[in-house]
Amino acid sequence: MAPATSAAVTLFSPGDGHSLLSSGSQSELFEVDFQSSFKPRLFSSEQFNKMPSRIAPPSKAIAFILRCKRPLKTRRQYATAAAAITPAASHAQMTQGSPPIARYPATQPPSYKPPAFRKSQLLRQYASVLRSTPLMLLFQHNNLKSIEWTGIRRELTNALRKVDEAAAESLEEGIKFQIIQTGIFSSALKIVEFYKPDSETVTLDPTDPSTPSSAAIPVFKADGSDLTHTLSKAAHDATAKKSHALQPLLSGPLAILTFPSVSPAHLKAALSILSPSPPQFPAPTRRANPGWHDPPVQSGMQKLLLLGARVEGKVFDVDGTRWVGSIDGGLEGLRVQLVAMLQGIGAGVTSTLESAGKSLYLTVEGRRTMLEEEEKGPSEEKS
Amino acid sequence: MITRFLTEVSTVFNPFSPKAKTARLFLSFLPSNARQTIKINTKMLPKISREPSFVELKFSKKSPPSYARPSAVLSLMGGWLTMGHFIEDGKQMKLDAEKLGIKGVVEEVDRHSRILSRQEELTGN
Repeated sequence: MAPATSAAVTLFSPGDGHSLLSSGSQSELFEVDFQSSFKPRLFSSEQFNKMPSRIAPPSKAIAFILRCKRPLKTRRQYATAAAAITPAASHAQMTQGSPPIARYPATQPPSYKPPAFRKSQLLRQYASVLRSTPLMLLFQHNNLKSIEWTGIRRELTNALRKVDEAAAESLEEGIKFQIIQTGIFSSALKIVEFYKPDSETVTLDPTDPSTPSSAAIPVFKADGSDLTHTLSKAAHDATAKKSHALQPLLSGPLAILTFPSVSPAHLKAALSILSPSPPQFPAPTRRANPGWHDPPVQSGMQKLLLLGARVEGKVFDVDGTRWVGSIDGGLEGLRVQLVAMLQGIGAGVTSTLESAGKSLYLTVEGRRTMLEEEEKGPSEEKS
Repeated sequence: MITRFLTEVSTVFNPFSPKAKTARLFLSFLPSNARQTIKINTKMLPKISREPSFVELKFSKKSPPSYARPSAVLSLMGGWLTMGHFIEDGKQMKLDAEKLGIKGVVEEVDRHSRILSRQEELTGN
């Protein structure tokens, strides 16, 4: 009736609602019992009337099911029941212990502030922006309308794209102009600047099968007091009473322009769009860039106020920012200048060092010739 | 803040000084279309300077035409072009931003603007 491979069979009797769960072999036993010897005696009416059987006789429906020889149509096989038998442990499991259990996913360590809050995520975002951008400009925006923002961003993108094409780079996609929340940004800035936890990272990964089970996973306390990430309590405590040089700038409506690398060419293009100052950063001419002279862009640009910059962790004011933008040839240009200077120094040093050696050589040579002449003199006189 | 009667705003501040907050906030309080009617000068001091920050204001007697007031719509074009031709109130204020704070500055501006608006109402314009 039931194939030998079927692990479990559920027999379902619709009549009285009883369900009979039994393994395949047992149901075969039942079949044999009921059909051959046991059934006639059990169902003889006299016996049934004389004494009440202790085992309740199977109902007619079940009896019918048990009697019929055809494979049952009502029989159901459940996958859950089949999975009840666990497979044998793998070889790796037999030889190694199970790895230690991590209490949380590596990407979601417990945090000091509730991580679901928007400001927690903003803090993480700002910290990551600050860690990744070496060049950042700070602007105050005074009631710009959305159409003005759109126009300014469009002009900025176009100008940067031109610089990209000229320099065969692709920085434009990484340059972003975004409005920030000053309070969260300032605490993110402090965390990035002042909070340098020991770089003793946990190399032990509980999900790695090669980790021995006896390895001591650092146990994190429930309050997260020994975590070192941006949202941790340690970061909060270490920076709560610090003050950064950029701090006074971080009030009022602020927007930041972030660059993925220090590129004075791009900075120059951005400055000439956002806050042109004629000699070094001329505004684009009407013929070259008519879009920049649109009324929304113009009015928006008037309302943007360049406040300062942060270049490789150092704070610059407006003049400093313009100076960074005015470096010709960018970082390469600076290097060329430095190399030229060092080469000049090198030539001087070598000539100085050489002069000492030369003079010594000349002196020694002079003395030698003198001695030789002295030696020769008497010998000549002798001979 | 009543900005209808302002014709000129000039601010001087060093953004790296914490006291510059007042002047900067004052600039951000001006409405979005303020630059059509108000002449705004902003001078930014270098980082090391210790000069005080201040807000200098000039008032006009008549408020400039705006979309909100239907009587002024006719003279709108003229209003834009003749920005300098408003009857000058003559009142000039030089407010010490460091001392007053943003609340104080707004209070001073409002105080004078209310006087002007009352005069405007009484003359029936």
